[in-house]
Amino acid sequence: MKRILLIQLILVLLVVVSCKKDYPMDDDGLLITKRADCYVSNFELLGADFQTVRTKAATIDTTAQTINVEVLFGTDLKNLYPQFTLVVDAVLDPKIVGKVDFSDLSKPKEWTVVSGNRKVRKTYKVFLTVKQ
Amino acid sequence: MKNIRFKILMSLTLLVLCLGACKDKEYAIPTALDKLQNDLIKRSLGPNIVGGTIEFAYAAAILPEKGKLSSMTVEASIAGATGTYLDNRFFNTSSSGADVGTAVGDPSVTTGKSTSVTYTGNFSAATLRYFYKIPEEARGKTVTFTFTAKSSNGETISYQSGPHEIRNQDMVLDLVAKDGTECYLSIADMKMYDAAFATANPGKIDLIYLYRAPANVTYLHSLVAPTADASYKPTFTMPAGLSNRTKIVKAFTVRDQQLSRIQYGVFVDDVDLRTKDFADAPDFAINVKAEGGVWVQTADGVYNAYVYINTVTNTASVKEMKISIKRLKIK
Repeated sequence: MKRILLIQLILVLLVVVSCKKDYPMDDDGLLITKRADCYVSNFELLGADFQTVRTKAATIDTTAQTINVEVLFGTDLKNLYPQFTLVVDAVLDPKIVGKVDFSDLSKPKEWTVVSGNRKVRKTYKVFLTVKQ
Repeated sequence: MKNIRFKILMSLTLLVLCLGACKDKEYAIPTALDKLQNDLIKRSLGPNIVGGTIEFAYAAAILPEKGKLSSMTVEASIAGATGTYLDNRFFNTSSSGADVGTAVGDPSVTTGKSTSVTYTGNFSAATLRYFYKIPEEARGKTVTFTFTAKSSNGETISYQSGPHEIRNQDMVLDLVAKDGTECYLSIADMKMYDAAFATANPGKIDLIYLYRAPANVTYLHSLVAPTADASYKPTFTMPAGLSNRTKIVKAFTVRDQQLSRIQYGVFVDDVDLRTKDFADAPDFAINVKAEGGVWVQTADGVYNAYVYINTVTNTASVKEMKISIKRLKIK
């Protein structure tokens, strides 16, 4: 009887240990890691037909925190889908949940990259120009 | 002791189960029923559209010693349009992969809702194809079919199919838009028009097809509304009075099978046309491509349509685009 109780106790301890969180999570259930890197590594821009509207690769300046994109003539600027590729573990704020209106070219859109440790924040400005 | 007995019993049970599970069952050719039998498959896919065709393959068989097939009849709940028929041939596939037909009797006879083929040869099994041309009367309704086979020994067997919903949308295939001439598209009429018609009926023109190849930018084949900015209608003189601000949303992977007639299993159904979001949609689509398309909402909001681009041609003398359209009246 004592042996059974002992085994049960060990099992309970194992379960408790196995459920212990090794890393903290953010509100989206993503791991908060120790990485402090914080930059955009690639940028894509899709039109309403989910095809790229870029004329060439976007120019990303990680020092000035700017992204410059030239889009095709005739691009529907009100209905664009930006896609960011970030350094490992980083997240974007605000999240992109659908199409974005880029039609006011004088006001560049802004997104903030947050590092894996959630302590470094860098705001990038996205400048669009239309090929003429 | 009791425990050991129990364990032994359980082990034996498991052993018996294992042996039973491993037993090979020899395959035996199923014995055919000695009655007249039938079966049906629907061959056509996608939304059923007025003017289109619903296709079935109806099979019936009887043991040769019991009799032979004498007739096949299909009765639709709504009479089919002209072009409805039951093929009087069954098909085999030749060694080269081609369908080779064998006639079982005279071509089908359609009387009202009923289409039938009377067998004249000695056939105890055959599969015939039925093509139901969807009539205007069926729009927005459902249609059912009763397939019936009869054999020489007096047996009759039937197979019910449906209800099949007939959609409200319209479809037109292979309109040719020509730069400079027949470049005005009316969604209401689902036709291409020239400048003379556009001048006389400016309210009917929803889209203009243009081909241009300017030096610095990519324009090529484009569809624009009459209200589009002048920069999207380069070197184009539009007839006076055209003022429809048609909403246009570009699409690329919507290769509707009924419009494209190519391999993709994509279908634009009534619900897609009805629920398409045109908020903030522009009035131009520049550089559209073959196998792409545009979602369109007319300026008066009466029609939503999908214009698929089958082919584009830009040779030295020909600048044109072949398009096919699905359209739904939403108001």
